[in-house]
Amino acid sequence: MAGSIPGSGTADPATLVAPAATPALRERRWEILRRAARARLAPFGAAVMLLAIAVALLAPVVAPHDPLKQNLNRTLARPDRIHLMGTDNVGRDVLSRVIWGTRVSLVAGFGSVIIAVLSGGLLGLLAGYASGRVDNLVMRLMDAVLSFPPLVLALALGAVLGAGLTGVVIALGVVYTPTFARLTRGQVLTITAREYVDAARALGAPGWRIAWTHVLPNATAPIVVQASLSVAFAILAEASLSFLGLGVQPPQASWGSMINAGRGYLQQAPWIVFGPGAALFVTVVGLNFVGDAVRDALDPRLRA
Amino acid sequence: MGSLILRRLIATIPVLLLVTAGVFALIHLTPGDPIDAMMAESVDDAVKREMRRELGLDRPLYLQYATWMGRLLQGDLGRSIRNSEPVIQNVGRRIRPSLQLAGLAMAISLLVATPIGILSAARRNSALDRVGTSFALFGICMPNFLIALLLIFVFGVTLRWLPISGYVDPLEEPWDGLRSLALPAITLGLALAAVITRTLRSSMLEALSEDYIRTARAKGLSDGAVIRRHALKNALIPVVTVLGLQLGTLIGGAVITEYVFALPGVGRLVVDAVFARDYPLVQGVVLLIAVGFIVSNLMVDLLYGWIDPRIRHR
Repeated sequence: MAGSIPGSGTADPATLVAPAATPALRERRWEILRRAARARLAPFGAAVMLLAIAVALLAPVVAPHDPLKQNLNRTLARPDRIHLMGTDNVGRDVLSRVIWGTRVSLVAGFGSVIIAVLSGGLLGLLAGYASGRVDNLVMRLMDAVLSFPPLVLALALGAVLGAGLTGVVIALGVVYTPTFARLTRGQVLTITAREYVDAARALGAPGWRIAWTHVLPNATAPIVVQASLSVAFAILAEASLSFLGLGVQPPQASWGSMINAGRGYLQQAPWIVFGPGAALFVTVVGLNFVGDAVRDALDPRLRA
Repeated sequence: MGSLILRRLIATIPVLLLVTAGVFALIHLTPGDPIDAMMAESVDDAVKREMRRELGLDRPLYLQYATWMGRLLQGDLGRSIRNSEPVIQNVGRRIRPSLQLAGLAMAISLLVATPIGILSAARRNSALDRVGTSFALFGICMPNFLIALLLIFVFGVTLRWLPISGYVDPLEEPWDGLRSLALPAITLGLALAAVITRTLRSSMLEALSEDYIRTARAKGLSDGAVIRRHALKNALIPVVTVLGLQLGTLIGGAVITEYVFALPGVGRLVVDAVFARDYPLVQGVVLLIAVGFIVSNLMVDLLYGWIDPRIRHR
């Protein structure tokens, strides 16, 4: 469900725990890749994701026109051979703006999830390891963050951080942090109860080494699954905030702000809305397929 | 049951304290001076000083928090800078459209999702099932504002059947009121329906594979009776959980929907307050929304215990 900031629920934390690095590891990785590729819609999702990344990186090369250049003689022009997606109310090429907007979306999607994984991972590690009072404090703090409806929290944070991509990425990073903190903490608690951690402890390994060499590598699978599913939702969230006027500021192109600007011309020039709308929808669907495939590959038990 | 309620209520207290601290800190996260951010540069320095004094920004932080909390406990959420009315009054005026929108959206989502979810599961892998799962995927990946604009394009601009903005209270003028809420409620309802459809389908599939379903079939019950009396009842439990989890998303969706359709609800109030940099109003409304969210989550938890006796006795 979108428009809001969904996906802050966690995947089942009781997921697989791989044995510590063994010679069979490389074989296992192949098996995971094979399983991911077998998922029905994964190839489509992967193609969309790769295309989006390529377009974002090569925006200056692939965009047919300058995304900011206005042409007041050709406003609201229908899609034709020169402007494949038509032009907007000040004569800017919609396709070129969609292409440049890909950058904003991907930076927001991946950027905020990276922030959330790092901060949530650290907090979860801390909570799971320290236990007792620290654990309690960290987890209540995460509960407090989760007590705000995600979009409302992002709006409030965006209000004080100021509009712009950086503010949005930080705000969304904060919104998604508790998800990863809870997930990591759960993993730490499960893994530290395992015999191989007892063995490492008995051998006198210091706490940080156990965390680094045993806990972290084994906790990654569910975190990767959650992260890959969260990126799509973060992209939707950025578009929603930009749509409300809090994300990237004009004239810079973002899918959400383009859609908001175009809604006044829905009757004369629906392409201003539906061009970026289609890009947003296809990207989110594609990333969802990739997320599902990653989940199926890393944990077949969760398969729907 | 009583002890469950008490336990959950006590667990809420520290979270509520942290939430208030977070909302209080909001105004201090502003880069630079919050008063400068709120008021135009042209505003007289004396006015700004007065505002700073009124908001208590000239005093130490812990004193500010203590005063703010003291007022809060007396039900004083502060005043809006724009219209100098108490936050409570601002929200009070806006709550009705929001509740009507949420109620209608919830009804639409259940009306749409229940048959689709059940049929998808009962006719697994059929063409019908593929339509159902595609609908769910579509609703989950489609942002609210895009559904809204599609509906406006089709029913408002092209067919001209329904109004695309504005609000009439259905309690005063039922027909016009329902018409004014139709597109917003469908927007919000479809997104929610997608999530419910997906959950209901998978929980129905799980329920249909249970032994008691085989028993029910073996004793000669019709398909309809098996689904209604045996599978659906058990499949509804995860749906309630998901409804609870989706509350936050519903509120976020309402913010966007109210913005697109110019509905004078609480969501619209938040967006307007953010744009006007009316920080006291933002603080007050966000706090109210968070508390409402916590309370409804609590109610869902209790409802869950009431539906499923296994949880109550844990």
